[in-house]
Amino acid sequence: MNWRVALIALAAVAAVALLAWLLQGGKPQVEQVEFFDVVELPTPTPAPEQRVILLFAGRDGMLHPELRSVPLPEEVHERIRVVMSELLAGPRSAPRLSPPVPYPASLQAVFVDQHGNAYVDLTAPPKPLAGSSTELMLAYGVVNSIILNCPEVSAVQILFGGHEVDTLTGHLDLSRPLVLNKRFIASS
Amino acid sequence: MRRIQLILITLALGAGFLPAQDYDRTFEFHFDDQAIVVPKFGPKVEALPILELLGAEARFSLAAGTYGVLYGEHVIQFAIDHKVLLVDGELQEASEVPIASPGGVAVSLSYLERWLLSPLGFHLEPIPRGYRIVRGARFADSVTVRPVAADFGTTTTLVLSLNREAAVEVEETEPGTITIEFDNAMPQLDSSVRFQSRRVRSLTSSDQELLVNLAPGIGLISWHPLETPPRITIELGPARPTPTPAPARAPVVTRRGPRPVVIDPGHGGDDVGAQSSTGVMEKQVTLAVARRLARILESRGRAVRLTRDGDQGRALTDRTALANRLDATVFISLHANASTVASVAGAETYYMSLDGASDEAAAATAALENRAGSSAGGRSPLDLILWDLAQAEVLNESSRLALAVQGRLNARLGLRDRGVKQAPFVVLTGATMPAILVEVGFLSNPSEAERLTQPDSQQQLAEAVAAGVEDFLGR
Repeated sequence: MNWRVALIALAAVAAVALLAWLLQGGKPQVEQVEFFDVVELPTPTPAPEQRVILLFAGRDGMLHPELRSVPLPEEVHERIRVVMSELLAGPRSAPRLSPPVPYPASLQAVFVDQHGNAYVDLTAPPKPLAGSSTELMLAYGVVNSIILNCPEVSAVQILFGGHEVDTLTGHLDLSRPLVLNKRFIASS
Repeated sequence: MRRIQLILITLALGAGFLPAQDYDRTFEFHFDDQAIVVPKFGPKVEALPILELLGAEARFSLAAGTYGVLYGEHVIQFAIDHKVLLVDGELQEASEVPIASPGGVAVSLSYLERWLLSPLGFHLEPIPRGYRIVRGARFADSVTVRPVAADFGTTTTLVLSLNREAAVEVEETEPGTITIEFDNAMPQLDSSVRFQSRRVRSLTSSDQELLVNLAPGIGLISWHPLETPPRITIELGPARPTPTPAPARAPVVTRRGPRPVVIDPGHGGDDVGAQSSTGVMEKQVTLAVARRLARILESRGRAVRLTRDGDQGRALTDRTALANRLDATVFISLHANASTVASVAGAETYYMSLDGASDEAAAATAALENRAGSSAGGRSPLDLILWDLAQAEVLNESSRLALAVQGRLNARLGLRDRGVKQAPFVVLTGATMPAILVEVGFLSNPSEAERLTQPDSQQQLAEAVAAGVEDFLGR
């Protein structure tokens, strides 16, 4: 291969590169997005144990507090998850009390807005629930337990299966966040 | 020949300078003078690089299980496999879910534009191999509309509750069609609300309009925008040959005779309420007791009106609105309770609780709305103060009515006394007269369920409630 052939080859490469650039209409350089960045996560520091107040349903139509020491994180979403996990697991010390959510529910998502409204999304009941008592225990068991243990939260709206509901059994207004209601907390 | 071969080889090598893109599996996204190639993930695209391209901060919160998008003053929170999301503090429901992807989260192009770009003030414009992100939201922010209609004699009141304030114009654009035009807001009908009216055939939303299709011969009488919470009330009635201005104080229901006691048999229609293990339905028990209560009160010279006198469904707000429009002396909502614990038994009486500012606001607005001819524009701070005072008086009276009725239930029936309680029940919200909800017993308790089906027991319950009402009214 002599120098003339090499020159032609170089010119051709340059022409193709120019053509490619023109085909893009002189657009900015397109950047390929890279994924799979591997970030080494720091070993999480265990949250300090703190006492939480959990409210369980009694047969008198009132919520009864149970104090429990659990590792309680500072971060509000994480804190709500811990409170809900303990609440849904049911009472430990009083066998006559029941979990306020009367079906095997799990917490699907937690949203907290800048005004201190928390939105907790529970799995929907497998069959329709009934009774104002059922509705009050569920709503205020969840709302009060979260607000009493999470200072950043001032009101809680409960979603079911990813949906807002106006009411669960036809009595209580669940279409908006509910604030702390101590009327349903037993005094002793 | 050799030279031609060499040129061809060189051309092939030169093609390697082109970006290695597979346009079947990627989209280009351009914004100002930057561009990225974003992988498609099925019918969806990776969301995070697009948001980062705009300069938005997109983060996953392990604790919350949600993605947070921060851009200026805007905050969006969304989660994988969830239709609900928070957009600037407003809970929204998308028609599809974000999914997990190699890059974190992938969304459809419509989700991307509607829920992630539009709230930040951007929209997409197609270009040959992808999209350009352009300033200016394509979608007006949505506003959720909850319709409730109440049919009265010759008129119907249609109340459209909005989840946020929005400016509207209501006009009968052609006979039988009312157009509600939203200013810079897209109405979304809340499909969870069951809507029934003899005079409204359908409600449909499109872009920034809501169309109300009326039954033949029905037209628009008047409409009023209300605030806190935002609502639009629309009065419908017989169509007029020529439109005339609505009267300033158009009565919706004309009451004849003395002020009635309004009795509300809980549930009805498809909403059966609680059910006993033997199949006794709450809606049957409440209607049976309500009819007996009505007969007893009528025999004592009281005017009585039932919110339903058959197996019909009624919206909770319609029940209270009826009592308000009739200027009832008292409102009694009858219910039967249920618990997951079969041994739980007893009767209890509730009156309204105004815990929480939102409930107060709802109550105030409902009552103002129910005053015939009220106009949002005419309310002053003094009106609201007067309303607060009036509502405090109504609550005080409601508590006395509740104590009177619960006292009679305890004395006459020997039921387990579960007491008088306060709760923000929908059916008590906005009542402008003493209003209570009586739970007459537990259908989940077999012996109480049996008792609640017995005519004698139903009569005793009705007599006890009637005695409590008389104690209160006759004081």
